[in-house]
Amino acid sequence: MNKRLSGKEIRSVFWRSFALQTAFNFEKMQNVGYAYAMIPVVKKLYNKEEEQSKALKRHLALFNSTPAVTPIIMGISAAMEEENANNPESFDSSSINAVKAALMAPLAGIGDSIFFGTLRVIAAGIGLSLSKQGNILGPILFLLIYNIPHFLLRIYGLKYGYKFGVNSLSEIQKNGVMDKIMSVVGIIGMMVVGAMVSTMLKVSTPLKFNMEGASVKLQSIFNQIMPDLLPLLFTLLVFYMIRKKVSVTKLTVFILIFGVLAHVIGIL
Amino acid sequence: MVQALLVGIIAGLGILDERSFGAILFGRPIVLSVFVGLVLGDVKQGIIIGAQLELVWMGIAGIGASTPPDYVTGGVIGTALAIISGKGIGIALAIAVPVAVLAQSLGILVRVINLYFSHKADEYAKQANFKGIALMLWIPAVLFFLSTFLPAFLAMLLGAGRIEALVNAIPKVWLDGLTVAGNLLPAVGFALLLDMLYSKKMVVFFFFGFLLTAYMHLDVTAIALLAACIGIIINFFIKDDNGNGGSDNQLKQDDGNTDNLTEGEIDFE
Repeated sequence: MNKRLSGKEIRSVFWRSFALQTAFNFEKMQNVGYAYAMIPVVKKLYNKEEEQSKALKRHLALFNSTPAVTPIIMGISAAMEEENANNPESFDSSSINAVKAALMAPLAGIGDSIFFGTLRVIAAGIGLSLSKQGNILGPILFLLIYNIPHFLLRIYGLKYGYKFGVNSLSEIQKNGVMDKIMSVVGIIGMMVVGAMVSTMLKVSTPLKFNMEGASVKLQSIFNQIMPDLLPLLFTLLVFYMIRKKVSVTKLTVFILIFGVLAHVIGIL
Repeated sequence: MVQALLVGIIAGLGILDERSFGAILFGRPIVLSVFVGLVLGDVKQGIIIGAQLELVWMGIAGIGASTPPDYVTGGVIGTALAIISGKGIGIALAIAVPVAVLAQSLGILVRVINLYFSHKADEYAKQANFKGIALMLWIPAVLFFLSTFLPAFLAMLLGAGRIEALVNAIPKVWLDGLTVAGNLLPAVGFALLLDMLYSKKMVVFFFFGFLLTAYMHLDVTAIALLAACIGIIINFFIKDDNGNGGSDNQLKQDDGNTDNLTEGEIDFE
């Protein structure tokens, strides 16, 4: 008898996938969340307690990836579990976890740069320009811009992951579309960050000095060299420090103190 | 008391965004501060403070195994006390930044305690106990909730009455200094994002975006759309025209840099 998952189980996996990081721990990270999401699949495919137990243990293995891309992997796991349930003799059940382990890091790399590195930045950039004026549309747009692609990926990722099983990702990677999308996404991210440095970072100096009797504002000289020169230089300086592995917390606290002192003595 | 409770609940639900609600980002300061403003009767101020906090923490995301500063606790307490004191963004930042660093340790503590539940889940798996595993997921949810609910609730209970007097005792020039410092802090967020996206060949696009806004005063939406067009032209058209895909391959190498953001390469300590 052929065992098949129905839309009901897949929908259940979809909703459960949101809870992925709930029991995050330092040893196996998102393992409990992953197993929790796979419960409907295990319940449907296996009847014997022994088989269920094996499947649950499988999905309690270490797992760590970007939440947004995880439904793709869950879809593939579901397809492989289905295969395993139907051909327990010929199917190598250890390949289920091998595939999970092989996919979680590369997909996390892609997922992090698309969702955290770019989409979130674009959403924030657009939302913030409204938020700064106290406009409620700011946070609303922020959520919409981020979550419409986010939900589409979750829904279709799970669907196609299940439908094409192990083959789904090799197909995408083979024709190089992923690389191109990553590159486009990188360009958008970079340009938006550049734009935000100019529009959202306010660094200016009130310093004046006397030149042949005339009072000259230092800031107006900076402005003549290049608008928003100080924000740019300051960002590059902080970027350099982060590259030099200066801790972010130290940097933040230092800048907070530096800003207050610089204002008190009249530099900024 | 009711306000303290509500602010605490906002913080508690905020931390669960990344944990149990699939990181749909309602826990980010830009959104969460709006609710704090709503509870304290000043939505507009909540939106504005949330925007500034979002800028500061823009580069911070729970990526990989690293535990970043807890922007939920920091943001909620900072926003709430700033609104109560009536002194705005400078105070919000002065409170939020250190609180976020301190609260980080609570998040780490929960992640350590969760080891126990993870092992317990292994035992339930042996008996194929589905309900047991589900329980091992939802107890940590409660812990995460408490890890931000309690600090926010206590800060409101103990701090709300005193913050105004405390803030009024600070000289104005220092308060203005805090605002100036607050304006500098987004540089950290931008630098972290740059670090995330960095590769030698991509840097030119950072300057391109900067120059377009600095000289031509385009807004961020315009830049995002322009960038999408430029990216598509470079990747999908130029390659097809040449047939050799030279420029494409060059950009492709840069994807190796996505390694930068996995597994806590950034030192938050």
